[in-house]
Amino acid sequence: MNRDALARSLSAIVGERQVLHRPSELLVYASDGLPGYRREPALAVFPRTREELVAVVRLLARERVPFVPRGAGTGLSGGALADGSVLLGLNRLTRVLSVDAENRLAVVEPGVVNVHLTRAVAPHGLHYAPDPSSQAACTIGGNVAENAGGPHCLKYGVTLNHVVALTVILPDGDIVSLGNADGEDEGYDLLGTFVGSEGCFGVALDVTVRLSPNPQAVRTLLADFTSLDAAARATSSIIAAGIVPAALEMMDQATILAVEASIYAAGYPVDAAAVLLLELDGLADGIDEDADRLRTICLGSGARSVRVARDEGERTRLWQGRKKAFGAMGRVSSHLVVQDAVIPRTRLPDVLRAIALIGEREGLTVCNVFHAGDGNLHPNIPYNANDPEESARVHRAMTAIMRTCVEAGGSVTGEHGIGIDKLDYMPLIFSEASLDAMCRLRDAFDPARRANPGKVVPIRSCREWMQAPVLR
Amino acid sequence: MSEIVAIPRSTADVVDAVRAAEADGAALRIVAGGSWLDAARPIDGGDRPVRRLDVRAVTGIVEYVPGDLTLTARAGTTLAEIEEATRPHGLWLPLDPYAAPGATLGATLATASWGTLAASNGLPRDLTIGVEFVDGRGMVVRGGGRVVKNVAGFDLVRLTIGAWGTLGVITEASVRLRARPTSECSLALDLPPRPEALAPFLRALRTAPLTPLAMELVDAPLARATGVGDADAIVVRLAGNAAALAAQRRVLAALGAVREVGNACWRALATALPADAWTVRLSQRPARLAALWHETTARALDLDGAWRQGSIERGVVRLVVPAREGAALALRLATLADRWQVIGERLPLEAWRALPVPASDRLSATIRRAFDPLQLLNPGVLGHPVAASAPAHPWSLHT
Ligand SMILES: Cc1cc2nc3c(=O)[nH]c(=O)nc-3n(C[C@H](O)[C@H](O)[C@@H](O)COP(=O)(O)OP(=O)(O)OC[C@H]3O[C@@H](n4cnc5c(N)ncnc54)[C@H](O)[C@@H]3O)c2cc1C
Ligand SMILES: Cc1cc2nc3c(=O)[nH]c(=O)nc-3n(C[C@H](O)[C@H](O)[C@H](O)COP(=O)(O)OP(=O)(O)OC[C@H]3O[C@@H](n4cnc5c(N)ncnc54)[C@H](O)[C@@H]3O)c2cc1C
Repeated sequence: MNRDALARSLSAIVGERQVLHRPSELLVYASDGLPGYRREPALAVFPRTREELVAVVRLLARERVPFVPRGAGTGLSGGALADGSVLLGLNRLTRVLSVDAENRLAVVEPGVVNVHLTRAVAPHGLHYAPDPSSQAACTIGGNVAENAGGPHCLKYGVTLNHVVALTVILPDGDIVSLGNADGEDEGYDLLGTFVGSEGCFGVALDVTVRLSPNPQAVRTLLADFTSLDAAARATSSIIAAGIVPAALEMMDQATILAVEASIYAAGYPVDAAAVLLLELDGLADGIDEDADRLRTICLGSGARSVRVARDEGERTRLWQGRKKAFGAMGRVSSHLVVQDAVIPRTRLPDVLRAIALIGEREGLTVCNVFHAGDGNLHPNIPYNANDPEESARVHRAMTAIMRTCVEAGGSVTGEHGIGIDKLDYMPLIFSEASLDAMCRLRDAFDPARRANPGKVVPIRSCREWMQAPVLR
Repeated sequence: MSEIVAIPRSTADVVDAVRAAEADGAALRIVAGGSWLDAARPIDGGDRPVRRLDVRAVTGIVEYVPGDLTLTARAGTTLAEIEEATRPHGLWLPLDPYAAPGATLGATLATASWGTLAASNGLPRDLTIGVEFVDGRGMVVRGGGRVVKNVAGFDLVRLTIGAWGTLGVITEASVRLRARPTSECSLALDLPPRPEALAPFLRALRTAPLTPLAMELVDAPLARATGVGDADAIVVRLAGNAAALAAQRRVLAALGAVREVGNACWRALATALPADAWTVRLSQRPARLAALWHETTARALDLDGAWRQGSIERGVVRLVVPAREGAALALRLATLADRWQVIGERLPLEAWRALPVPASDRLSATIRRAFDPLQLLNPGVLGHPVAASAPAHPWSLHT
């Protein structure tokens, strides 16, 4: 089937206005949150109901057309890019289907925006704990596909820990239930396997999530350090002391300066080498004692001062600065690479030093804003992608940073996924046999190799995906 | 059935054993601490001889960095050894399944076994960050890594946890540790006397401002066996600073008569299971736990010597029946399985027929074929996948 015929068949299912095929319309979908990559989809289709979505996937299966699911497109690894294939937009499936407050469960469509879910369940005193910094835009389906994290995942766990069941349409059009919301599940953990599969195993039709009760009390602290080393030391000491903060985030001076120069200015000390944003939550009784302990540990590790947010307004401002830090950096330059590596927490001081040296060597500013409690780094480099020489330096720096993190015993992604951006790094951490095993797993879900071709696994045995038929 | 035993000391030895079994047309029974070998469905190699693959000697802690709260150990390392290594640093691996002292890490993950701490610390899959395993084709595969957060590639870690060895022999695993609470206390509450009051009582407990490490419902026989009283009761394990503990005691006291029971009851709970008992787990959404409790009271408690434990946060009741009542349990299982999710742990042969075959769906069967095409590893423990999977070999399908 050629492109026009396919557009007609899709229109018959979803209506003409939900199918885009003009290059000008498709432009928006040629990149995602990582603007360094551009891939033109052949078509984009936006089902509005589950029935339409199922019919679309089945049509694509019949016609053997490859497709790429897309939520809000906030992904930072190029995972939602469709190269000559069909982009399957899920952002119109936005209904919260049911809330079971007593069991703290909700069933949602994949296009529900993360923060909208929390808003919808707020009247029950509940919230959805995983809170990526992109929570105001990203979708639950995208979160499931990336196994997204966020600042509060230190205490509450990542997406996987909050998904109890999924209905999935496999690329061949079969609908399967994974996991079980009505009791214990037995057999292979297909739910756990699907979460984090980056759109390569099928499309989430609905997601049953676990909700969390709102804490009785929250304390947000800002600790101010004159050296990165001291801030890193404080991080290790807090974890070792057995306090589990709800969040433990670090921002370095370059990040602080970018935030403070933006509309998200939070009142961070601009002369600090680093700040830690710490949050405690839980029972009201005892929380101030724990906050005092945090303060003492930070001061003992060399903090100049530790400030506790006085009210909700100050708390929101402190968090706003952190959550909008990427946006603030984006203002500095035309482009931004947002990286996502993980290292063992105890290696924070030396890895941060190594990253600074790499930046100096390549003449680049590396801004670090990250989930320190998890050792999940986000070294970011603002640059101009239209300058090939600068782009080459950025590429060299990023590769060196990734190698450093892997050599420190870490991983090449903690929450953003592999997508296309990190394909080259996969062999740094996985053997050929392990990558082959991943391919075999993928094959079980998608033997025809049509879901999100070319992503995640870079090896020979998976190459067929990269040669998936292109629709022109 | 021949009794050849392979005793590998390393991952490479496991590969050799798998290859040898394949060459000889044998199947493998993976054996670790050996404490729970008769759990799950019986091994069934068909016409093939079944060899024991004893992985106990694949042992030892490979890497332990207290500051990172991570530990990597070979599969045969016992939970007791991990406990011993981590305790001096004020850390623990909060996995506390019913277990004999020789229970190993690899088996605990392979069987996805959990205990009362799961309410606060999660299941094995939540605590495991990396695995190495040898699949049924003799390939050494690693998933995950040694850092607490990692989403690189497809998740082979989750896949092997709870697969009962049917996708691969786990040879090594990395787990996340947590700080061991410095102060703890354990309290018991009596249940309200009227049965209809149980549901609202449990609801009140679940919504109360409490952050328990564990919260379990124990029936009278189990209460007696673990020294927490003579009647059905709730046992709550609390941790935190002095103010938080005091506040939670007050909350509990407002719900019913509270008594201190001593932290030793948790050890007693974890070892209460007699070796020869039949056990099943029944579950539903947590809000239905009271109904499930009543139903097991009605349907199983007349079995002489039976007892139960309920995990309040997870909505699970574990029912334990003495060996002599196996036939009676088998008869009742089908009715229970109609209304509740039932997972057989150890059951008499005839009882398995009442329960669905796990991992028999098309996806699972395909995955199994991809990792163990000859069904070399622990054939039968999860049952044999049904029709959808065309047999890779004439002997791999049994009806
Ligand atoms: C009396 C008793 C009752 C128990 N009841 C329960 C219970 O009710 N619920 C619960 O959750 N747990 C229960 N357990 C849990 C048990 O403690 C755990 O499953 C586990 O820790 C057993 O360890 P093991 O080394 O003795 O395993 P084994 O008994 O040697 O093996 C258990 C199973 O795991 C497989 N296996 C072992 N090692 C590996 C490996 N490296 N790779 C792949 N597969 C492997 C074996 O083939 C076998 O099927 C019970 C244990 C005992 C002793
Ligand atoms: C400013 C900013 C801050 C961020 N902060 C964080 C953070 O703190 N933590 C974090 O983890 N991430 C963060 N991200 C990354 C991103 O927001 C997450 O990865 C998010 O989960 C992506 O959701 P999305 O709906 O935008 O998905 P998309 O970008 O549209 O898609 C991402 C992947 O999911 C697949 N997919 C989407 N929907 C489905 C579905 N229903 N079924 C199957 N596959 C599907 C796509 O094919 C693609 O591979 C941030 C991004 C930005 C721009």
